[in-house]
Parts: sequence; C-alpha cells; structure tokens
Amino acid sequence: MVYIMSWDDFVERSVQLFRASPEKTRYVMKYRHSEGKLVLKVTDDKECLKFKTDQAQDAKKMEKLNNIFFTLMARGPETDISEVTGKEQTAQPPKRGRGRKQ
Amino acid sequence: MVRLQLDPFLNELTTMFEHTTEKGSVWVTLKHSSDKSKVQKNKMITAGKELEYKCLVRATDGKKNISTLVGTKEHQRFQAYYATILKARMTSLKKREKKDKKKAADADKKQQVSKKPKTTTANP
Repeated sequence: MVYIMSWDDFVERSVQLFRASPEKTRYVMKYRHSEGKLVLKVTDDKECLKFKTDQAQDAKKMEKLNNIFFTLMARGPETDISEVTGKEQTAQPPKRGRGRKQ
Repeated sequence: MVRLQLDPFLNELTTMFEHTTEKGSVWVTLKHSSDKSKVQKNKMITAGKELEYKCLVRATDGKKNISTLVGTKEHQRFQAYYATILKARMTSLKKREKKDKKKAADADKKQQVSKKPKTTTANP
C-alpha cells in the first residue's frame, strides 16, 4: 500500500471514504514509541488510505482528524463537520428528517 | 475483547502507552457501529426500529484488547480526554527541525553524558 503524502489529501479522501460506506469504514491509529512512528489508516476493506509520519506537528493535525471522526461516527455520517474542521462548507446538504433506513 | 466504560478505558489506554515505551506499538481503532449482530440488525429493520449508532473505540497493544462505545452525548468529553492522553504520551515524535539547534544538541549531549545519564531521551 502506498502512503499518501499530502495531509489535506489524506483527510479529504478519508472523510469521503467514510461517508461512502460508514458501516464498513474504520480509522486506525498506530503509534510506536520506540521508533517515534505514527501511522494512520482509513479503510473499508476495499480501499485503503494510509499516512505515515514521525513529526510532532502531524500529531497535532491528527488531533483534528480524530475530532472529525469522533463527530462523524458518534453523530452519524451526515453530520456537518465544518465546525470541527474550521472550514466553511459551501454547499450544505438539505437537512433530512429522522428515521432514515439503511 | 473487554468492553469498558469510558473512564476505565482511558486509564487502560494510558497504561498501554506506558508499557510500550521501550518496545511494541499501540493501535487505536474508531468505527461507526450499532453494536448489533447482522441477525439482530435485520430483526430490528424488519420490526421498523431505528438503529442507534455510536462510535466504537478499540485499542490494543498486541496482547490485550479493550473497547468502549462512545455515544453522541459523551463524544466531546471523551475526545478531549483522548487528545490529552495522546499529547502526553506521543513524546517520541520529532519536533520541527532547526539545523543549528540539532548540531548544538548533539554537542551538548556528549558533554552532558557524565552529568545526566538520562540524556538518552533526546530525540535521535
């Protein structure tokens, strides 16, 4: 598996992947203290996105991604994450009623 | 897989990070889950009941597995604690490099070895 080099790219594609198959997608973080290595992985068992780093500043970025995923996973894939990401969402999807069946 | 409440989970996670400082890794997985089996799910769907989704968090150090479920109400609190733990434990990652500083640090290291035996914590 090839690692994605750009962080923004990784975040964008991860969120897309989760929204496409919320029930199958998982987000894994692996941290190896002895080597100072951090690997993030998002996969739905068909597509796999990975990001590797040894930089402390990337851990800060990861905190934001954690927040995004906690929000999406605890509140549901339709949740507006613009609050978490700090980015303004241009096209907001129309709000749907409750009771959506899957 | 041991299912824990939020606080015991976070404590256990901290222990995992402590135990893997010299060797080993820690994995933390987040998943959107209703915590129901396929059969249960189908039953609920046919009964017209709404499935409640939560965020399933699993953690392992390769030996022990723990998990917890984070719901809508608790996720912000959990998230904050989790971030604090990560910040406190992920200390072996590299700080942004400054060329001059690095050389200076190396020089310092040699001098300080006799004084402080614990300078090995300096990042390689």
